[in-house]
Amino acid sequence: MSETGGPDVTQELRLPWDDDPEDLYEHAPCGYLTTLPDGTIVRVNETFLAWTGHTRAALIGHRRFRDLLTAGDKIYHETHYAPLLSMQNEVHEIALEVVREDGRRLPVLVNSVLERGAGGAPRLIRTMVFNATERRSYERELLAARREAEASEQRVRVLQRIVADLSAAPTEAEVAEAVVRAPEPAFAAASTSIYLVDVERDQLVAVASTDPTTGNWDDMPRSSPRAVAAVARRGDLHVIGSMAEAEEHFPDLAESMRRSGRQSVVLLPLTTGSGDDQAIAVLGVLAFSFREERSLSDGELRVIRLLGQQAGQALDRARLYDDARRREDRANFLARTTRSLEEEHRLLQRARRLVERVVPEIADWAAVRLQVGPAGLREDLGGPPPDPDLLAERVAEATSKTEPIFAADGDGLGCTVLPLTARGRVLGTLALRMAPDRRGAEAERMFLRDLADRAGLALENARLYEQERAIARTLQRSLLAADVPGGDPRFAMETFYQAAAQDLEVGGDWFDAFLITPNKLAVVVGDVVGRGIDAATTMGQLRSAIRALASAEHGPARLLEQLDRFCERVDSARMATVVYGEIDLLSSEFSYACAGHLPPLLHEPAGSPQYLLQARSAPIGSRAGDRRRTEHKVRLAAGSRLLLYTDGLVERRGRPIDRGFEILAREYARRRDAPLKGLTAGLADTMVGRDHGDDVCLLCLTLGTEERLERSIGADPLQISLLRADLRGWLVGHAVDQDCVNAVLLACSEAVANAIEHGYRDDPFGVVDVSATVSLDAVEVRVSDRGSWRGPGTDFARGRGLQLIEDSMDEVFFDRGEGTTVTMRRHRGGDPS
Amino acid sequence: MTDQWVTFSQLGIAELVYLKGEIDLANANDIGRAIVARTSDADAVLIDLTAVSFLDSAGVRLLDFIVGDLDDRGKPIKLVVGERGAARMTLQLCSFRTDLLATDLERAAAELGR
Repeated sequence: MSETGGPDVTQELRLPWDDDPEDLYEHAPCGYLTTLPDGTIVRVNETFLAWTGHTRAALIGHRRFRDLLTAGDKIYHETHYAPLLSMQNEVHEIALEVVREDGRRLPVLVNSVLERGAGGAPRLIRTMVFNATERRSYERELLAARREAEASEQRVRVLQRIVADLSAAPTEAEVAEAVVRAPEPAFAAASTSIYLVDVERDQLVAVASTDPTTGNWDDMPRSSPRAVAAVARRGDLHVIGSMAEAEEHFPDLAESMRRSGRQSVVLLPLTTGSGDDQAIAVLGVLAFSFREERSLSDGELRVIRLLGQQAGQALDRARLYDDARRREDRANFLARTTRSLEEEHRLLQRARRLVERVVPEIADWAAVRLQVGPAGLREDLGGPPPDPDLLAERVAEATSKTEPIFAADGDGLGCTVLPLTARGRVLGTLALRMAPDRRGAEAERMFLRDLADRAGLALENARLYEQERAIARTLQRSLLAADVPGGDPRFAMETFYQAAAQDLEVGGDWFDAFLITPNKLAVVVGDVVGRGIDAATTMGQLRSAIRALASAEHGPARLLEQLDRFCERVDSARMATVVYGEIDLLSSEFSYACAGHLPPLLHEPAGSPQYLLQARSAPIGSRAGDRRRTEHKVRLAAGSRLLLYTDGLVERRGRPIDRGFEILAREYARRRDAPLKGLTAGLADTMVGRDHGDDVCLLCLTLGTEERLERSIGADPLQISLLRADLRGWLVGHAVDQDCVNAVLLACSEAVANAIEHGYRDDPFGVVDVSATVSLDAVEVRVSDRGSWRGPGTDFARGRGLQLIEDSMDEVFFDRGEGTTVTMRRHRGGDPS
Repeated sequence: MTDQWVTFSQLGIAELVYLKGEIDLANANDIGRAIVARTSDADAVLIDLTAVSFLDSAGVRLLDFIVGDLDDRGKPIKLVVGERGAARMTLQLCSFRTDLLATDLERAAAELGR
């Protein structure tokens, strides 16, 4: 107290009680230790003894401070505390643990001061010890809180990544893959599996797992007692914290936990819908497990539930995408299939196209059966084929019910059979085996019905087309096959018809030839507009009309006028083109008229081929064209060849028609000496080839008998019979008797065969020239080649050929110069002398 | 592919080979193969040439081979040809044995059966 009565702060307060310094030392709120520089305790206060349970006697002079520390802190004391103290003479707030007398540990904070004597040598150490028990537990709490915060942050990060992945996952499968990867980084789960609900089949299907060795992967019905199904039904998170819990509620789960060494499992339903105003829909279940008994904090549970909702929404979205995409795929597939079927007109090809569309795009095996024709039609593709008996049974059932029978699990066949119907009639069936995940769904069934409808219609159309085509072809064939006159030595005729190669319907091209009177021959080539059965029918009508209208009196121009009138009644004949000619077999006069048709080509024995360009007018029934019908007459020299043809012979895409005419004239001239037989076919082959887009119709007429027959044929045995046909006609035309005809034909054939087999043994392109003349008493034939004969007559068979020539002819001369010429004579009217 | 020239049937004990059209260098080998395939085990053979409109030395060679083959096996064979016509002419020119030639199918079949 100061004299003014105020506190004198320069002086210690005098306390109202006696504060003994010794007592203050002993019972201070901290421990005091005084040690020698080597740490040996020389003084210790009561507080320290009370905290540690040691006795004063046990410490003083016997123990060093470091002896009281834990093993780890002893090292710390040596490496940090002591050197620091020695350098700085003091240390502060060193955290150490003192081992109490009963062995428990006491966390402490230590301040020490080193006192040095005169000369600086360490004299003693004073140490103050604070009890840090409270502080340590506080620190631990802080640490735990930080770790918890970090774990939470980690979970959130994982969740964020998963959510990002989910939003980028367009399909159910990709969503499943993203979700199944979440629990391991987020909750340190050991493994995770995902099951999805198949609503159609009312089942839960395991789709992905991070450890496929765990768990039971069989599909299960949603009503199953298994844990996953129970959680899916309930729609709420279920944590099985221990084996005992699992055994109590879900024996199946306990079993698989035991097998895979798991102690706890979380079953998380993947849900969509908020639950407030919408019903919660469970789309799947995420199951993840832990090797230890794991209890989950509220924070973790919140995050897990969130994961379930996010995944559920992503699944929902993906399913909608999947559905939309599948619908689009199916629509595209149907459109493409319809288009593709339309590209084929024929039934067989269309059926083939159908199975090719279906396999492998939507099925691994498919078969079309059609009830057409006596044997039916069957096309299948893919494999392996299903059990034939079961399939036949199902095909019969689908056919009789006129209803699709869809594949069902465990039906032993796995195939869907769709009846193909059109206009209320079952045409056949389409059977197909689809991948299991593509069957059953209602949308899939609608798609298949749609496919069957389209296929049925396409195949029915092809069947009708086929039918019509067959009728048209039969009709056309029967009309074209009708005999053209023959066996008259005054003329010879060769016709040819070739249908378009590119699977088109029959065209309306035709040829005809008939005798109007015994001495007047009519020839016709025409072309009706259009294709198919209509064209064939019209062609038949026009052909009959021309036969009926042709008369000895009227002539070609009048006939065309009558055809124009005929068109008034048969409109489909309108714009048909016709070349019509009449040949007077007595005067060799050819009278012709062209109604919009290509000009006839005439080759007389002398000179080059000429197109007959007179007497032209518009097609039959033309309203815009010039229908004044005129006719023109030409006298044909004996041996003239006249060619009538349709446009398919000269028209070719990308080539001017003039050029076509030029080529035809050239090719025709080149064949001047070729036998008539085979001439038209050869000409068509050269002009249009096999792969042509139009019908080709040809009629070639040889008029009169040449005084002298001249032919050149290739070194090909097949040509001999063509030559014989011409030679026979020529000989008959000259009224040569039958025995002589036979003898000349035999000798000429043998001579040509010799030339081919010997003269042109090494030259397949050699040419054999044959000329024949006839006089009142004899026939003379000359056969020449330019080949190199080697050892004639050494061959027994050929020897026989030469012998036949010698025996059948009256005179035979061989001239071997450059090649060989055989000249043979046979007297007419009687056996060789 | 040789159906347009050759068809087969059975007449009595004989395998009846019916030929028609023109037989020459171009088709004789194919026809020969078709005939041999049917006659190599036959007990008797009858070749009807009445509808053959032309027969050349290649055809003769073919017939000669078939006749030789049946003779070797001791089996009878007859060639039926018309009274006139190309086939008869050719075979006569080649001096085929007259015992081989017949003009009536039924009678030839009956002779083979004896």
